[in-house]
Amino acid sequence: MTQHGTGLELERVPTGIAGLDRILCGGLLRGGVYIIEGVPGTGKTILANQICFDHVAAGGRVAFVTVLAESHTRMLQHLQPMTFYHEDAIPDRLYYVSAFRILEHEGLKGIVDLLRREIKGHQATLVVLDGFGTTEESASSPREFKKFVHEIQSHAAALDCTVLLLTNGSEREVSPEYTMVDGMIQLADTLYDQRTERTLQVAKFRGSDFLPGRHSFRITCQGLEIFPRVEAAFALPTVRNEYSPHRQSSGIASLDAILGGGLLAETSIGIYGPTGIGKTTLGLQYLARSSAAELGTFFGFFESPERLRARAQTLGVDLRGLERQGAVELIWYPQGEHTLDELGHQIIEAVRRRGVKRLFIDGYTGLAESATNPERMTRFVSTLGNELRALKATVLISMESRNILGTAAELPSKGMSSLLEGLILLRYTELEGRIRRVVSVTKIRDSGFDPQLREFEITERGIEIGEPMHGIEAALSGFAREPRVVQPHDRSQGRLRED
Amino acid sequence: MRTVLVVDDEFGTVEVLVAALEDAGYRTLTAANGRRALERLEENKPDLVLSDFMMPLMDGAALVAAMRAAPAFRDIPVIMMSAAPEAALRKHLDGYEAFLRKPFRVPALLAMIAAIFARRADPPQS
Repeated sequence: MTQHGTGLELERVPTGIAGLDRILCGGLLRGGVYIIEGVPGTGKTILANQICFDHVAAGGRVAFVTVLAESHTRMLQHLQPMTFYHEDAIPDRLYYVSAFRILEHEGLKGIVDLLRREIKGHQATLVVLDGFGTTEESASSPREFKKFVHEIQSHAAALDCTVLLLTNGSEREVSPEYTMVDGMIQLADTLYDQRTERTLQVAKFRGSDFLPGRHSFRITCQGLEIFPRVEAAFALPTVRNEYSPHRQSSGIASLDAILGGGLLAETSIGIYGPTGIGKTTLGLQYLARSSAAELGTFFGFFESPERLRARAQTLGVDLRGLERQGAVELIWYPQGEHTLDELGHQIIEAVRRRGVKRLFIDGYTGLAESATNPERMTRFVSTLGNELRALKATVLISMESRNILGTAAELPSKGMSSLLEGLILLRYTELEGRIRRVVSVTKIRDSGFDPQLREFEITERGIEIGEPMHGIEAALSGFAREPRVVQPHDRSQGRLRED
Repeated sequence: MRTVLVVDDEFGTVEVLVAALEDAGYRTLTAANGRRALERLEENKPDLVLSDFMMPLMDGAALVAAMRAAPAFRDIPVIMMSAAPEAALRKHLDGYEAFLRKPFRVPALLAMIAAIFARRADPPQS
């Protein structure tokens, strides 16, 4: 990929890893020297090999030089199950050599000569030096090592070959090679209580913009799957669309009436309430209105697709039929080791891929509990919401309140209410010895709505909302009561009498 | 005692092969690449060369080609080893006696060497 402009721009060498190329704004710069740093086990060798095989698949040629690293045989055995591994690339386009003996006998000068010869001999457009730390150990002085790095840079630029230097890292805070190379990618595996999160950070990338901060990644049979931090990757929505306000049915006619004609399309609406109140039911009814013109997606963490289909059937919603028509897609991410950014990217991709207009996320807890840093949630939700709106999706997200009964609790994240354009409150309340369900709309931005409380029931036809609860007080406290009328003579006695 | 020249750029591989061959009663010579192997051949002519394919400075294919071009070394059998499959190397190689895909077990190597020496000692009647 070439950047066009003044003619002085450096050509990009895509890494072939979509997430990393996004972080690097298109890839590495051709002829540049980059350090990949991380303690053992963080994925450096897999990352480098993945870049090599992708580079070869794109028509490049690679020399992979090791110095006291894992044996080539062992390394290739470990790589064989990976989907990027293609045996037929070796040795014609991807060539592995060990430089340890040369380092021992000829020192750093021998390594520079070897790299130069391998680049020329194999017409390599990418070279990896795995064991860069070992070369530093064999330098007689920091000055000699700086000279070594400088020579590698000179040859890389002259031969138009991109170089990756793999190292476990230096104990020094700012090591000399860091100041000299064109870029540095750091891999880490951080422990959060009992779980770990792998992250990649571009600490330096000379001559190019890049997405800052730590980006989570996973190592799977596909190699490194890198998820650029949502707040950085979608700081600005990726598409710009004109917005003309219009309505979308919630799937419940009486709720549409309360909302002033339906949900405001291309907005985010929270459904807040305790467990079992009917949040998922409302979401399923919302998706029941999906069609070829308004595709829907259920993105959930808790109930499996089989259970959802069965549950929808009890509400008169033919989810299976909608799936068969292609109108609805069920995506289930059972809570496990997913990272927040992975989920964010999957949601955006699910919407983008099918042009989804109706998205139900069930629920906020599934997202929040995947965050290793809960402080991120407000910004994360805000950025995610902006991108989904730009993609013209209307988002319903369920949010669970902690209390089943009692006074209205706070929303699950600070600043959450300002991120949502609408909020539908579902509450249990106790009245006349019976637990009842109550619905109220507490917020719809830029639109009028009916704020009255209504009792609702869940029947075989789904949610059925009744008339306003006139004459009932404190329903949202969880303990509704008939209004009390205070008589003058009671007040004088300091007593209240219920009417 | 027969002599085997072990040619491999990976230090650990050479160490393992030398130990296995010496335990089996062979004398060993070593070289870290094809160029160094040619120097060793001049110094001490071995009975067999066990060579890796991918090496710096001079690879296994170039080593075999150089040996086949030199009358003194033309008849020395070569076992080629590689982590790459034989099919991928075949177009580069000519004149090698046998191929061993890495990783391999030492008994398989020893059996292969013994078979080559047995064939050489008792050539088929034409």
